[in-house]
Amino acid sequence: MRLPRRPKEQDLEDEIQAHLAIETRQRIERGEAPEDAALAARREFGSVALVKEVTRSMGGFGLMDSLLQDLKYAGRTMRKTPGFTAIAIATLALGIGANTAIFSIVDTAMLRPLPFQDSDRLVRISMTRAGKILGGWSPMDIRDFAAAARSFDGMVSYDHWRKNVSLGQGSSQPEELVVGLVPGAYFDVLRIRPILGRVFTPEENQYGKHFVAAISEGLWRTRFASDPDVIGRALRINGESYQIVGVMPEMVPAWMDHTAIPIGIWTPFTSPRMWTEAARGGAGNSSIGRLRPGVSIEQARSEIAGIAARQATEHPALQGLGGTIEPLADTRAGPIRPILFMLCGAASLVLLIACANLAGLLMARNSARYREIAMRAALGASRPRLIRQLLIETVALSLAGGLAGLGVAAGTGAVLVRSNAQGTAPYISGSKSLPQFWATVPDGRILLFAFAISILTAVCFGLGPAFGGTQVSLASTLREGGRSGSVGASRQAFRRAMVVAEIALSLVLVIAAALLVQTMIKLQRQDPGFHRDHLFTAHIFVPPARYTDPADIARFCDRLGRRVRAIPGVIDASVTGVYPTAMRWSEMFTFDGHAASRLADIPQARFGPVDDRFVRTIGLSLVSGRDFDESDQAASPPVALVNQEFVHRYFPNENPVGRQFRMGPPPGIGVPADDWQRGSWQRGSGAVRVVGVLANFMNERPPIPPSPQILLLYRQQPDVNFGFKDVVVRTSVQPETIASAVSRELHALDPEIPLGEISTMERHLADQTADSRFTTVLLGLFAVLGMILTIIGVYGVVSYLVAQRTHELGVRVALGASAADVLWLVLRHGITIGLLGVGLGLAGALAAREILAGMLYDVSASDPWTLGCGSIILLVVVLIATAIPARRAMRVDPVLALRSE
Amino acid sequence: MPKREPYRNRIEILQGTLDMLILRTLQWGPQHGHGIGQALRSLSDDALRIEHGSLYPALHRLENQGWLASDWRPSEANRRAKYYRLTTSGKRQLAREHSKWHEMVRTISRVMRPAEG
Repeated sequence: MRLPRRPKEQDLEDEIQAHLAIETRQRIERGEAPEDAALAARREFGSVALVKEVTRSMGGFGLMDSLLQDLKYAGRTMRKTPGFTAIAIATLALGIGANTAIFSIVDTAMLRPLPFQDSDRLVRISMTRAGKILGGWSPMDIRDFAAAARSFDGMVSYDHWRKNVSLGQGSSQPEELVVGLVPGAYFDVLRIRPILGRVFTPEENQYGKHFVAAISEGLWRTRFASDPDVIGRALRINGESYQIVGVMPEMVPAWMDHTAIPIGIWTPFTSPRMWTEAARGGAGNSSIGRLRPGVSIEQARSEIAGIAARQATEHPALQGLGGTIEPLADTRAGPIRPILFMLCGAASLVLLIACANLAGLLMARNSARYREIAMRAALGASRPRLIRQLLIETVALSLAGGLAGLGVAAGTGAVLVRSNAQGTAPYISGSKSLPQFWATVPDGRILLFAFAISILTAVCFGLGPAFGGTQVSLASTLREGGRSGSVGASRQAFRRAMVVAEIALSLVLVIAAALLVQTMIKLQRQDPGFHRDHLFTAHIFVPPARYTDPADIARFCDRLGRRVRAIPGVIDASVTGVYPTAMRWSEMFTFDGHAASRLADIPQARFGPVDDRFVRTIGLSLVSGRDFDESDQAASPPVALVNQEFVHRYFPNENPVGRQFRMGPPPGIGVPADDWQRGSWQRGSGAVRVVGVLANFMNERPPIPPSPQILLLYRQQPDVNFGFKDVVVRTSVQPETIASAVSRELHALDPEIPLGEISTMERHLADQTADSRFTTVLLGLFAVLGMILTIIGVYGVVSYLVAQRTHELGVRVALGASAADVLWLVLRHGITIGLLGVGLGLAGALAAREILAGMLYDVSASDPWTLGCGSIILLVVVLIATAIPARRAMRVDPVLALRSE
Repeated sequence: MPKREPYRNRIEILQGTLDMLILRTLQWGPQHGHGIGQALRSLSDDALRIEHGSLYPALHRLENQGWLASDWRPSEANRRAKYYRLTTSGKRQLAREHSKWHEMVRTISRVMRPAEG
């Protein structure tokens, strides 16, 4: 009895074995020796594999059965041509690897849903001026918005601040952590429920009752040993005691607060003057909301715009300001969205080049297998069956390539992430936000993407060659005999077209990479307006809980500065509130002749409270007037330094030295709602006199031109003399080497203040161009990949051409053609292909210049020099790839070439 | 260069006739693949030699059409072999092909040997 599920495959094998046994037996009976008989039977039968193969294609075999067979066959073919297989897999690995790597960034930065429940309903609510987003709204405004809006299911305003935190009881060394300042509703809006304890009550959001804290699960596990009794314990923030009331799951991603690591501690968002009219506006903090189910983004956006417009008429301070919303998920990539789009485009180009290469290779191989395919067709295999066989081979290749590509992606990811290691800073600068999205370990989504792209590649680029390869005409092929490879001029044309496309796409990549490299160089060579080398930087926080009077902070900083200046190897040192570049602190100011009644009109400038050594230590140059000096004491009249841009913007055509202005907005409007706990510009009159003008220096991120700048002495400005300070040291030795000495001096003054964010100005400046550098490196990598693939493609086509025309070349040489003639004959092909490709590529580059223009600095996207050099490089590459087979052609021996016929 | 096959004094099977010949040999009773090949050879006085590469695919094709059925039986070589036999629809098919073949032979003969007045 046959087993019901006995595989057909086994049946076929048995049937053939029976045939061979019968034949052998008959031969033995006729008197042949048993061994000879078995051999003869086999020989007479022919290829068992081929017979099985064709018989199987008659149908009646299960799909799995035949698929398995096809795969086995594909594996055999791959092993039989290891050279082809290796090149094909490598080509695919590079193409798929590049795309998988980019996809992993794009997925985490743009596509993946946020980790919150119904995260598509979360939006960021922003304040705008003239259509430009300024930031979030103040709690005061958000409260009014929430009362008026119908589309929302909750809305909150929140912030975060660096603070000195002691997690243990009492004596432990405090550390500087970013603390989230949030109302309890923040967690409700995000739908985060505490693991232990509770969220803040509305009452705890009132100033004075706010000494409660929530910690993250991560902090709870690592620092509190997952202690279930952690609720009710105390921790110290800036010297004040807070009671832990809740443990929250680690769900808020770091990008939401631009921090280097996710926030681990939250306290209520409150300040003494938060709920006063003067606190309207905001912009320094963030605001988010959750849409009601069924409300579209557009509906909610127009509602918010309407409410903001009404608010602006009711509160004069808000005139000129508008409101808008955008999906929270869209804000995560923020400024790097265009970079990501460009990288996606570049990676697709690499894949296209790889695929064009593969299609060419497959076409060539299928041509070489022409006789085999024709034979199978003759034995009765149908065309769809043959196409399927060829496609399955391509899919197998593609999957192998995809697997290798995953390795390539993970490898490059790891290398690039390491080369862009996060610094010591707690916040991520807008110019270094790419690496945080790079997943080094591929997860399910990335695996799925690599799989899908492999299959898609195989089908799109295997189908053409498979159709071409199976267009067999029995009679002609079998009759063609020896020159079975020389088929169809159309196939050769197809391969040439593929190579032309490869050259064109490579040229686009090369030009883009060259433009970005030039941008990079120009950005890095940009004169910052000060001496960038030999500058040490570090951050401290002088806790106002212990240094209650701003004068105490000033005295502490003064003493620290003096001690640091005494360290050997130190030329000068400054303890300052800010340092260039990318100085984020802006302040409003008023001066005669510029009366402003609404927030939008008040002049603003970059602001920095510094000491009298700042200008000298950094190395800024003074254009007119004088620098701060030691005679400018706390009690003497407040003085200011401004930059040329400030003069140009606000005091054109007059000598600014001696002019007065007043810090802060006009009375009654625009006081930021923060927890500084000291109102801005309240204690002093805020009036300052300009004593000197500085040359412009880089106070913005490198590509952005310098903004107006105001520098004041913090010892004269108690209102803005906060605890956070930077220590900037000009050294004669390597700046990193003095870190421990500075730390010792700080410890001697106050053992409870840690020295944080130890770095150098060079590194700080490098960080400012990190994303551009990252992009440039990637694009350069892609361009090199594209070129390598193109070389392989060109080489393949030309070698094939030479191999095919060996006979013809032999005849030519026999008839008296010189080596130079033969060389030219081959080179001509390369040059034609090269010129066509370069022409198309230039057109492509010009078409893509709009996309690139936004990423370039001080170089035109259609820079003729770059376009020219790129073209020449590609032509040279094509010529080199042609020259190798051309040399072979030159050495064709006419006798051998003709005899081989 | 592959060698050209030497010319052999054998009849190339016309496309489509192999199926008919197989059905015909099975009219005398069930037979395995080897036997069918041998029967064709001896019935044609050695003029027809069927490539195994054509025979087995044809057998499977006919079986899939439902014209042949098969079962495994012990064979002369102490080994189970797959025996094919005609089904009812196979017999009908043979009759159809047979008459078609007659028609064709008659037609071709008429063309090749025209009546001479």
